[in-house]
Amino acid sequence: MALWDYTVRRTIILIPMFFLSTVVIFSLIHLAPGDPIEIMFTETGHPPPREVIDQVRKSLGLDRPIYVQYLIWIKKLLRGDFGFSYGGPFIGQSVLDLIRSRFWYTIMLMFTAQVLALVIAITLGVIAAVKQYSIFDNVCSITALFGYSMPNFWFALILMLVFGLKLGVFPICGASTAGADFTGFAALSDLLRHLFLPVLSVTVGYTAWLFRLVRSTMLDVLSQDYITTARAKGVRERVVVYKHALRNALLPVVTVVGMRLGFILSGAVVSEVIFAWPGMGRLAVTFALNRDYTGLMGLSVIIVLMVYIANLVTDIAYALIDPRIKY
Amino acid sequence: MFRSGRAYIVWMKFRRNRVSIIGAFIVISVILMALLAPLLSPYSPAQEGWIDPPRKFLPPSNKHLLGTDHLGRDVLSYIIWGSRPSILAAVGVVAIETAIALVIGSIAGYYGGIIDNVLMRFTDLILTIPNLILLIVAVSMFKVRSMVTIVIVMGFLWWPWMTRVIRSQFLSLRESMYVEAAKSMGASDLHIILHHIIPNCISPIIVTATIDIAAAILSLTTLSFLGLGDPRMINWGTLINDGRRYLRSAWWITTFPGIAIFITTLGFNLLGDGLRDAFDIKIRG
Repeated sequence: MALWDYTVRRTIILIPMFFLSTVVIFSLIHLAPGDPIEIMFTETGHPPPREVIDQVRKSLGLDRPIYVQYLIWIKKLLRGDFGFSYGGPFIGQSVLDLIRSRFWYTIMLMFTAQVLALVIAITLGVIAAVKQYSIFDNVCSITALFGYSMPNFWFALILMLVFGLKLGVFPICGASTAGADFTGFAALSDLLRHLFLPVLSVTVGYTAWLFRLVRSTMLDVLSQDYITTARAKGVRERVVVYKHALRNALLPVVTVVGMRLGFILSGAVVSEVIFAWPGMGRLAVTFALNRDYTGLMGLSVIIVLMVYIANLVTDIAYALIDPRIKY
Repeated sequence: MFRSGRAYIVWMKFRRNRVSIIGAFIVISVILMALLAPLLSPYSPAQEGWIDPPRKFLPPSNKHLLGTDHLGRDVLSYIIWGSRPSILAAVGVVAIETAIALVIGSIAGYYGGIIDNVLMRFTDLILTIPNLILLIVAVSMFKVRSMVTIVIVMGFLWWPWMTRVIRSQFLSLRESMYVEAAKSMGASDLHIILHHIIPNCISPIIVTATIDIAAAILSLTTLSFLGLGDPRMINWGTLINDGRRYLRSAWWITTFPGIAIFITTLGFNLLGDGLRDAFDIKIRG
C-alpha cells in the first residue's frame, strides 16, 4: 500500500531529526556559562566545600567531556531512563514518572484547544473571505487582530478575574474539585468545568492567528482561474466554495498547523501556570525556576517527540487531502 | 518629498490605508513615551518615593491615575518607564535575528544545492522545537539572568523564520537579469550579494522585523511573567506577575500593564500589516 510506505518513509526521516534536536537541546543547556551543580549549590545560599561539589559532579558524570556526557545521556534515554530530578520540590523523583502523571492533562488541553480553534477559524475564515469587506468580515478581522496582539497570560488573568473571581461561574484552579469524590458522569463534568477557562485562554490567541491564515489563503484561492472556470461552468456557489476552493485553501493551513504546534504549546504553558492545571507546561516552569536540568532535558525530549508525531500526522493528513502528493 | 519613485508609491499606498496609519501612530506614540519617560512620568525609579509602602494598593484616582501596586509604586509611572526596556529588548532581539538570518539566508539562497539543503534542514529543525520551551530551557541555565543574556539567547533562537524569508527572496533574485549582468562583468559573489541582492530584499525584511518586534515584546513579557526574566528590570510582565496575587482586591495592577502590552503589540502588528500591503509583497516562509 502506497500510503503505508509513505508513512514508513516519513517516520524513518524523523529518526535523525530527533537525534539532532536532542543534540541542540543538550548543547543549549551545556553551553550556558556556569555549571549546573555550582548553580544548584549557590542557589541554596550555603555552598558546601569544593570537594563535595566535585564529588557530586563526578557522580553525575559532569566532569567528562561534553560529547561523552551526551552519549551517556542518550544511551540511558533510549533505555527509558530519564534520571532523577535534582532540585526544587520534586527532588529525587523519577523524571519520567513526573512527566507521565502530567502528560495527558497537557494533551487534553492542547487537543481541545486545537479542535476548537480549527473549527471556529475555518468556519469564520471561509465566510469572511467569501464576503470580503462585509461587516461580518470587518468585525471578524478586527477581533482577530485584537486576539492576536493580546498577551495570553494577561487574557487568562482577566478571564480568571471575571469568570472565576467576580462571577464565580467557573473553577480557577486545578483539574478537579479538591475533596469531592466524584465518579462517572459527575467526575467528567467536574473535569470539563475545570478545563473551560484554561482552554478558552489558549484558544483565543491561536484561533485569531489561524483565522487570519484561513482568510488570506482562501482569498488567494478564490481569485484563481479554476474558480472562475468552475463558476463559468455554472457550478453552484456552495460547491465552488466548499469543494473547489476550501480543499485547496486547507493545504497551507494544514502545513502551518503542524509546524506551529509550539504556538499552542506556549499558550498551554502560560495557562497551566495561571490555572494550576497539572500539566507539563507548569512542570517545565517549575523545573526551569529550580534549574533542574535533568528534568528540563527529559521534558524537552518528550515535547520534541510530541511535535514530531504531530508533524507525521500532518504529513499523512496532507497526503490524504492533496492527491497530487506522490507517496 | 519624492514625487516619483518607489518610496513615493509605497507612501501613497500606506497613507490610504487607515489601519496602518493607526498602527504607525501607536508605534510612534509608544516610542515617544519611552524617550520622554522622565518628562511624562509622575514618579521616577531613580527618585526617593518610587517605592513607598504606606501608599500601596491605592485604587485609580486623580493622584494616581492607574492606582499603585503592592510596593506603593505608581502603576502609570511603572508602565511609562517599562516601555523602555520592552522596546529596547525587542529591537535587540530582532537586530540579532536579522543579522544571523542575513548571513545564513543569503548563503543558502545564493549558492543553493547542498549548502542550501543542509542549512535549511537545520533551520527547519530549530523551527520545529517549540519556541517558548527552547527559550525556557536556554534561559534557565544562566547564573544571572540579565536582560542582555536573555536578548542574545532569544536572538539566537529566533533567526529561522527570518532566514526562510530572506532565502526565498534570494532564490528568485539570483535568477534576475541584473545579477546575470553583474556576474558577466566579473563582480564577485560578495559584491553581488551586498550591492545587488540585499538592497532588493529590504522590504520583506522590514515587514518581518516589524511583526517580529510585536512577537518579541510578547515573548519577553511572557518570560518575565513566568518569573524567568531579568528580576532587576522594570518590565510589564513582571508587574503583571506581581499583581497576580492581588487580582481579587487590586485588579488595576494586572489590568493596566496588560493593556500597555496589548496596545504596543497591536501597533506593531498593524504597522507590519500596513507595510506589507504598501510594499505589495507576499511573504513566503
